[in-house]
Amino acid sequence: MLVNDVVCPFCGCLCDDLELEVEADRVVRVLNGCSLAEATFMNDTRLPAPIRRTSTAWEKISYDEAIKETADILKDADRPLLYGWSSTHGDTQSVGVHIAELIGAVIDNTSTVCHGPSILAIQEVGHPGCTLGQVKNRADVIIYWGCNPIEAHPRHMSRYTTFATGFFVPDAQRERTIIVVDTRRNDSGGIADEFVQIEPGGDYAVLSALRALVRGKESVIPKKVAGISKEQLIRIAGICKNAKFGAIFFGLGLTMSRGKYKNVRNAIELTDELNRHTKFVISPMRGHGNVYGSNEVFTWMTGYPFAVDFARGIAFYNPGETTAVDILRRGECDAALIVASDPGANFPRVAAAHLAKIPTVLIDPHVNATTSLSRIHIPCTAAGIDAAGTAYRMDGVPIRLKKVIERGYPDDAEILKKIYDCLNGWMIP
Amino acid sequence: MKCILNTGRSVPQGVSVEHKGSEEYRTAASVCFLNAVDMMLLGIENGERIRVSSPAGDVVLTARSAEGVKQGEIFVTTGPYANHIISSETHATGMPDFKSQYVDVHVTEERVMSVGELMEEIGGLRYVSQ
Repeated sequence: MLVNDVVCPFCGCLCDDLELEVEADRVVRVLNGCSLAEATFMNDTRLPAPIRRTSTAWEKISYDEAIKETADILKDADRPLLYGWSSTHGDTQSVGVHIAELIGAVIDNTSTVCHGPSILAIQEVGHPGCTLGQVKNRADVIIYWGCNPIEAHPRHMSRYTTFATGFFVPDAQRERTIIVVDTRRNDSGGIADEFVQIEPGGDYAVLSALRALVRGKESVIPKKVAGISKEQLIRIAGICKNAKFGAIFFGLGLTMSRGKYKNVRNAIELTDELNRHTKFVISPMRGHGNVYGSNEVFTWMTGYPFAVDFARGIAFYNPGETTAVDILRRGECDAALIVASDPGANFPRVAAAHLAKIPTVLIDPHVNATTSLSRIHIPCTAAGIDAAGTAYRMDGVPIRLKKVIERGYPDDAEILKKIYDCLNGWMIP
Repeated sequence: MKCILNTGRSVPQGVSVEHKGSEEYRTAASVCFLNAVDMMLLGIENGERIRVSSPAGDVVLTARSAEGVKQGEIFVTTGPYANHIISSETHATGMPDFKSQYVDVHVTEERVMSVGELMEEIGGLRYVSQ
């Protein structure tokens, strides 16, 4: 059976034009997708049933047992951490926030080690952004700064920028100027019209230099800024000022390197400066399929996009203190519930190691590095494959993920609702 | 040799990201890309092993030269290998230095560990599917 207009849930592009060939409970062919989409749909090996760690081995347990034990662990904890939420749909995220509020937990999502700093910058100076459709149809200058779309968002260039035919940019490859700024000459840099190789940690200085040039302060710029010649900086500032519509996409090269959110703030302020000459927008290249959604859901429900601490009975937000890596690094939490993510692989060693010291429960369709660090792993549906739900694209557009096959697993939102009900029953005095 | 460790995504890592126990993932996540001149200075060829250490810990990786990487830098794809040596300090932002960890690089004959072994080193227990 052919299923049309399928949304790929893997990365923040949420490409919605896939065609899948489905046989019973398997996807046998993926059309229009990138290699990441093919692997997502066709190489989807799951943990068959819930498992519990004994001192030396793993044993199978029932869903009811796993849910009851998870609720027990959360009930007994003084400082539980609920983390993950980016590779699942909005309903699951919403139940997660309800549990956090009920038990006074800290709830954080994967943007904490991704675009969390971008959010901090946006909270300081705002976000002059737009949808990807606007970029596709209007942008004649594209800047990829500290990101590598060819590897991380393989269809971003063909659907929205470099190779995409737009309404006002009919001959995309000739009419669009692509600038790539990175410390490493990666594949994306290889196809840029202008590649700018920056010294590690030099982003802030280069952004400041470009702001000065856009303001006409050429005389204050030294011969080289973070390894980039003044001539190249002047050329780039010229390309930007002469654009009809420019779009900056930035990645973790800005958020993870020295300066962190101040880099992003400077990039937003460069965009502000450019808007005195022409139309310019800026947007983060969000990684996981629904990481943007986790920020949306958390914000509606608590007022804050990530790192929300309910220990005081009200929502409290203080990144650097209530962020997952910091709580784990300090050895502060005494239980963890991880949903739809893999901090075992993605957190620094000391933070990941703390997960193995405390009772950690993982709710995720796949066996991953966090499985090894957990006390219990409960398998579930994968949003966009065998569960429908809402996800947010990197530009904030909500898209409905389809259920394309049935594999007999419970939805992670259902598992969490049962955990909530157990906890709620016990909490009533 | 002193270097700055940079991390990021790659297609081979993304394709096998839900199969972290696989040989494919191990190969993708445990490759360390170096500048060709740095490889020459270390006296190693593609495929030989290096031990990369930082105050947070150390890990054995497979060296491979890459044109795009500058001298004095190394690149490892996002994942448990890179994170084994990244400090958890966040400078009060919540975000560790995933792209600017100072490290030491030495040549070694030791083998590259599996993801399961790395997790066992920090107190985990490998799950092997039946």
